[in-house]
Amino acid sequence: MKLLTHLLWGAIAAAAAFCLGGVALIRGEHINSIWLVLAAACTYVTAYRFYGRFIAVRVMALDDRRATPGERLRNGHDFEPTNKWILLGHHFAAIAGPGPLVGPVLAAQFGYLPGTLWIVIGAVLGGAVQDFVILFASMRRDGKSLGKMAREEIGKVGGFIALVTVLIIMVILLAVVGLVVVNALKGSAWGTFTIAATMPIAIFMGLYLRYWRPGKVLECSAIGFILVLASIFGGRSVAASASLAPVFTLSAMALAIGIIVYGFLASALPVWLLLAPRDYLSTFVKLGVVLMLAIGILIVRPELQLPAFTRFVDGTGPIFAGKIFPFCFITIACGAVSGFHSLISSGTTPKMIAKEWHAVPVGYGSMLMESFVAIMAMIAACVLQPGVYFAVNSPAGIVGATPAAAVATISNWGFPVTTATMAQLASDVGEKTLFFRTGGAPSLALGMAHIFARTGGGAVIGFWYHFAIMFEALFILTIIDAGTRVGRFMLQDLLSQVAPPLGRMMWMPGVILTSAMVVAAWGYFLIQGVRDPLGGINSLWPLFGISNQLLATIALCVATTILLKMHSAKYAWITFAPLVWLVTVTFTAGWQKILSPIPAIGFLAQADKLAAAGAATAATETLIFNARLDAALCGLLMVLVAVILADSARVWVGILRGTADAHVREAPFVPSRLQTEEL
Amino acid sequence: MNVLRRFARLILATLREISDENAYQRHLAAHGRQHSGPEWRRFSEERLRAKYARAKCC
Repeated sequence: MKLLTHLLWGAIAAAAAFCLGGVALIRGEHINSIWLVLAAACTYVTAYRFYGRFIAVRVMALDDRRATPGERLRNGHDFEPTNKWILLGHHFAAIAGPGPLVGPVLAAQFGYLPGTLWIVIGAVLGGAVQDFVILFASMRRDGKSLGKMAREEIGKVGGFIALVTVLIIMVILLAVVGLVVVNALKGSAWGTFTIAATMPIAIFMGLYLRYWRPGKVLECSAIGFILVLASIFGGRSVAASASLAPVFTLSAMALAIGIIVYGFLASALPVWLLLAPRDYLSTFVKLGVVLMLAIGILIVRPELQLPAFTRFVDGTGPIFAGKIFPFCFITIACGAVSGFHSLISSGTTPKMIAKEWHAVPVGYGSMLMESFVAIMAMIAACVLQPGVYFAVNSPAGIVGATPAAAVATISNWGFPVTTATMAQLASDVGEKTLFFRTGGAPSLALGMAHIFARTGGGAVIGFWYHFAIMFEALFILTIIDAGTRVGRFMLQDLLSQVAPPLGRMMWMPGVILTSAMVVAAWGYFLIQGVRDPLGGINSLWPLFGISNQLLATIALCVATTILLKMHSAKYAWITFAPLVWLVTVTFTAGWQKILSPIPAIGFLAQADKLAAAGAATAATETLIFNARLDAALCGLLMVLVAVILADSARVWVGILRGTADAHVREAPFVPSRLQTEEL
Repeated sequence: MNVLRRFARLILATLREISDENAYQRHLAAHGRQHSGPEWRRFSEERLRAKYARAKCC
């Protein structure tokens, strides 16, 4: 039996190596997406079984005899021991946002290989390790948050910096995902109508849940889903209507203003009315679509049309400028390593773990599942013809302002595409044009529609395209309203130090003022992205990637400190190695984004180029200011993280020399009486 | 068949957890209360206040 088990794991590991080798080495022909699926799945399974288990046994010494916070502090609210598979689903739903979908689509400009390898290897050795160790650390510390652990394990500076970094990341995140929605909906009456319809649907759901059928969330979400599907069909009629289509055909700026107003209202309105019902619905739709995409890829097994590497590995990419190193590794953050996950792993989840060993599937396994979502997004982008992919994702400022100019530029790059092809594609999906739809969402929707339609519904590719757009926009808008609210709470918390009334959550002037401040902050960057001649994504997505990875750096600093305290230097490499990699990547990227002499990459060079052009209009002045602001923000983030790194290094040296407090601040051992069968 | 039934039960339980329906049942059990509109509203307000004080992941 033991021999059979060894043979089975040997076969899985060999399959992982063979498929990864195949993906990496096949050149000059289209490869089937199943190679990527198998390479990723076999690597995940092997890593989960061996690396995850190694960390659990040797490093963490997980012990099911030890009561978890969920058992010890059980209160029926936050602290509640939960079935591990249910918690796995809950945790996965919490960590999987738009990042693992959009990042890989953008990084596909380098070809399918760099992004795929980073997603698989980054998740196995970095992202899953970070999530797992932080979950473990929080679980052993009564479910403490990352900020609290940073303050306790490293020092007060670490805790404060973690708070400020999260606030800055929120602002950039909300702006960049807002821009993704704007670019997906601009000029699209069908898409705009569908998304606009989700707002009255959400309000209806809120009222239904509060007054008509209290507590029936699943029933209410099912009704909401049917209404959203109906709105997709309604959107087609609206787009075809001579009187209604112009009402819903909006410019990027009008959409951006609409999203800003929406963000403000959603933050200030009662949460049960709009935010919560929409969040329930978007979570279910998200899980359903991810599952559909997995099944669709397995049934269709599409061939990848993009090559392993494109010419843009040299840093001249139209979607974002910069070479594979470091930009591939910050463009794909979620899906490989995401600092944001550390907030979830030290949030609700550690309070719901029933047994310590459940942290392996929940902490390590969930991240592997998210990584697989990123692989599927990569496949969805790469099944498009390269010319189509670049025509959709490239900004007019790079490829030319007209369709004819764009196809000429893209064809000259070696990716042939014609205006007729693009017109036919736009007509198939019920759009006027698909040119210059930067941001990743439309090309992802096209790829998904391509896969879904081939599973049996080829005649309704327009429906699937708009279904995918609805799915992306629905949960991005949920992130915008929830994020604005969280940002408001954080700001109220900070401002209450100088003006105590502002800290009162129910004081309306304070609520309105802080909501407006948060919305103004991300709204400013959103408008900046809309006005940016390079499409906005070129500057905002790298900023978001850098900030997210810098948060991962903070999380890995905390994790390394804890491992050093537990085992001295013996196992610290588990988190220290990904930390060194992330520091190298993010600081290189940050340095280049600020100081590169190439205007498409360096913010300051971009500002200098605009200033040198001489046309001192108000618009140019704004662009110059924005470029310098982005440089300052990037610099601030790097300084903040450099401070926490230096502070951590001081603590590490002290621990290794025996001069610093190496006391492990775990909650005392209490024997568990919980029987998992009762869950 | 049993495996399928167990799987369906697990999926439903996960959906109930995500939708806070399980949490509501725990709340009723913990406080020894019966389901009612005001009770749901009381639970929901407290639950959502805590839920949306935390960052949502990207």
